Amino acid sequence: MKQFLIYTAKVLLITVLIAVLMDGLYTYVFLQSKNRGKIETVFNSKSQNYDVVILGSSRANNHFVSKMFEDKGLKTFNYGMSGGHLFEASLLLKLMIERKYSIKNVILEADLNLSNDHQAEGIAALFLPYIHNSQTIKQHFQSNENFNELYYIPFYRYIKYDGKIGFRETYKIVKREKTNALDNLGYYPLAKHKNGNMKNNIVNLNPLKHNKYYEEIKNICKEKKINFIAVMTPMCENVAGMNYFEKVKKAYPEIHNYENAVVENKYFSSCGHMTDTGARLFTATILKDFFNK
Amino acid sequence: MFFNSIAFAIFLPIVFFLYWFVFNKTKSTQNALLIIASYYFYSCWDWRFLFLLVFSTFLDYYTGIQIEKGKSEKLRKFWFWLSILVNLGFLGIFKYYNFFAASFSELLNSVGLKTSPVLLNVILPVGISFYTFHGLSYVIDIYYKRIKAEYNFIDYSLFVSYFPLLVAGPIERATHLLPQVKVKREFNFEKAKEGIYQIIWGLVKKVVIADTCATYANAIFDHYTSMNSFSLILGAVYFAFQIYGDFSGYSDIALGVSKLFGLDLLRNFNYPYFSRDIAEFWRRWHISLSSWFRDYLYIPLGGSKGGLWMKIRNTFIIFVVSGFWHGANWTYIVWGFINAVYFLPLLLRNSNRNNMDVFQLKFDLDSVKILISISYTFFLTCIAWIFFRAKTITDAILYLKRIFTNKEFGFQYLDNERYNYELLLMIGLFVLVEWNSRAKIEPLSGKRSLLKLAFAIMAIMAFGTFSDYKEFIYFQF
Repeated sequence: MKQFLIYTAKVLLITVLIAVLMDGLYTYVFLQSKNRGKIETVFNSKSQNYDVVILGSSRANNHFVSKMFEDKGLKTFNYGMSGGHLFEASLLLKLMIERKYSIKNVILEADLNLSNDHQAEGIAALFLPYIHNSQTIKQHFQSNENFNELYYIPFYRYIKYDGKIGFRETYKIVKREKTNALDNLGYYPLAKHKNGNMKNNIVNLNPLKHNKYYEEIKNICKEKKINFIAVMTPMCENVAGMNYFEKVKKAYPEIHNYENAVVENKYFSSCGHMTDTGARLFTATILKDFFNK
Repeated sequence: MFFNSIAFAIFLPIVFFLYWFVFNKTKSTQNALLIIASYYFYSCWDWRFLFLLVFSTFLDYYTGIQIEKGKSEKLRKFWFWLSILVNLGFLGIFKYYNFFAASFSELLNSVGLKTSPVLLNVILPVGISFYTFHGLSYVIDIYYKRIKAEYNFIDYSLFVSYFPLLVAGPIERATHLLPQVKVKREFNFEKAKEGIYQIIWGLVKKVVIADTCATYANAIFDHYTSMNSFSLILGAVYFAFQIYGDFSGYSDIALGVSKLFGLDLLRNFNYPYFSRDIAEFWRRWHISLSSWFRDYLYIPLGGSKGGLWMKIRNTFIIFVVSGFWHGANWTYIVWGFINAVYFLPLLLRNSNRNNMDVFQLKFDLDSVKILISISYTFFLTCIAWIFFRAKTITDAILYLKRIFTNKEFGFQYLDNERYNYELLLMIGLFVLVEWNSRAKIEPLSGKRSLLKLAFAIMAIMAFGTFSDYKEFIYFQF
């Protein structure tokens, strides 16, 4: 039995060693990541100057045409992330501040995403390679249920989220394979789809009265003297439960309601996402209303 | 609690420690601990079905004794049939009732009699097909006086509900496992080390091969109408490796875990995709089930004694029943039937026992022939797997038809956001590793075993699919 216990200890030691080595290797690769995604780009960047930084979910990513801001002389980048929640938007802004970004305006898409303050696992996982390299990321994840496993067990985070930060992603970074996430200054234009879903039911959706991460973003902007513009972006014609936007306005009076800025279905790719044409109409309205351009 | 879960990684060392350090005084204490652990393990799925397991155990234990004690043949027969009918009755209700009710109703509807079947809203108790077959073999062996009844309830309970084999086999025989549980186990370092190798290799098969293949196979089978011929062929190959990795991986882990407790279980897989004909495939695939059907169905039906037609009839019966054992769906029955059809030429030529020997490859014509035979057998197996994997027979036929009618062989981007060909390198490597170690139980033992073990652990960590978790396929059977 003693022999077996020694043998088992050896196997465990090998396992831990492999985990530590692979953790180090993967993290090193992620620290070199370029041209893959918005999170890696911000994390591995140095100080930047922006007139406008756009944050939010896909409803920010597909709705704010960065080039139109630039054409008006405003240095802009759209950091909206498809599938992201306010948890990730807040952390991304914190990282920008940590890297001493100089930002004049933050436009935050804050509407449907106000209904929860959870992390969007698929997006939040993209911060995890850097958890040991950034106090900001560590602290942001500290309230998570599985923080201890993610932080203390070597390589655990790469196994748990293997679809996002596992071998394939690491290999693509090494290969320097580009994605389109950073094209068009972060804006992702959508086309009209024949079979796009033009119905939505948000009857059961309610905005949280105090969304932790919304408040965080607001407070960071206040503290860093960044002009904070929170907007609700358009939905298609056929939505059940449109009073959600009124509930948001009631809970957060400072959020500007642009839900009706574009209404016709022809401007939508799916019910919650405008086409490029719709996005341009909407961006023009935002530029006019907030920047007098 | 799955073998590849964190919960099991905690459960196993605790049971191991208690077994060898606290309950190691006698075989009774060892067995008692394993039963408690097994019942806990089973109750992690659904504690309510624990009663069914205990009842099934008690039924076979009691009827086994009554059969042995039976003074008249009539009485022996009574207890025998009681056990058979109750066992099959439970299996029938939980696994097959809805299938029969729906099929019968469809039949009546097809002749113009409108009916709506009364379906039961029951879930299938995990492992029922496996522990029912344990009990059946035990009772049948006693009835035919091949073994003595077991009078120690604890020992018998352990034979039925031993946790490594409880939910997905291998289907054990009383003649093999009961003698082992009747003696106190002494720790054997070499056996335990073998166990570790098998567990690790089983995990490689499950999380690296099966679960990764599953993401591709699902993306192809679920969207077969938009797939090209190349993707559809790859889909069948990926599923072949998914089911092999999944089930043989499970069996390897079960056998490995059991070795840690000093108990040997029946080998369930012997590199089946290196078979030279379909008969050899069935001697290497799910061996405990194939041999069960051979011993308790094929031979009692007359086996091959009654001439060629009897042999053909019995072969078709066991394959169709074996297909039906897998699940209450026509696709499984057709899968069984196809395998019987594959068997037919071998029966007619009386060549089903031709490939019993161990082969070596050399640079000669015979070796080329062997490789062609292996490839052809694998091709046949993949065709049959399409029926096993498809949701309906129509889907399977359309899938096959599209392979031949689409005629496009380009790369295709799949729903899992990967290209159809991407997994081929991994499968090629896996086949190479298995080929080189086909004379052994697993590839990790032997020279430089610690290094091979390290590579296997690295492969699990780097190439395993964890986020898109798949249950072991055979749990549903």
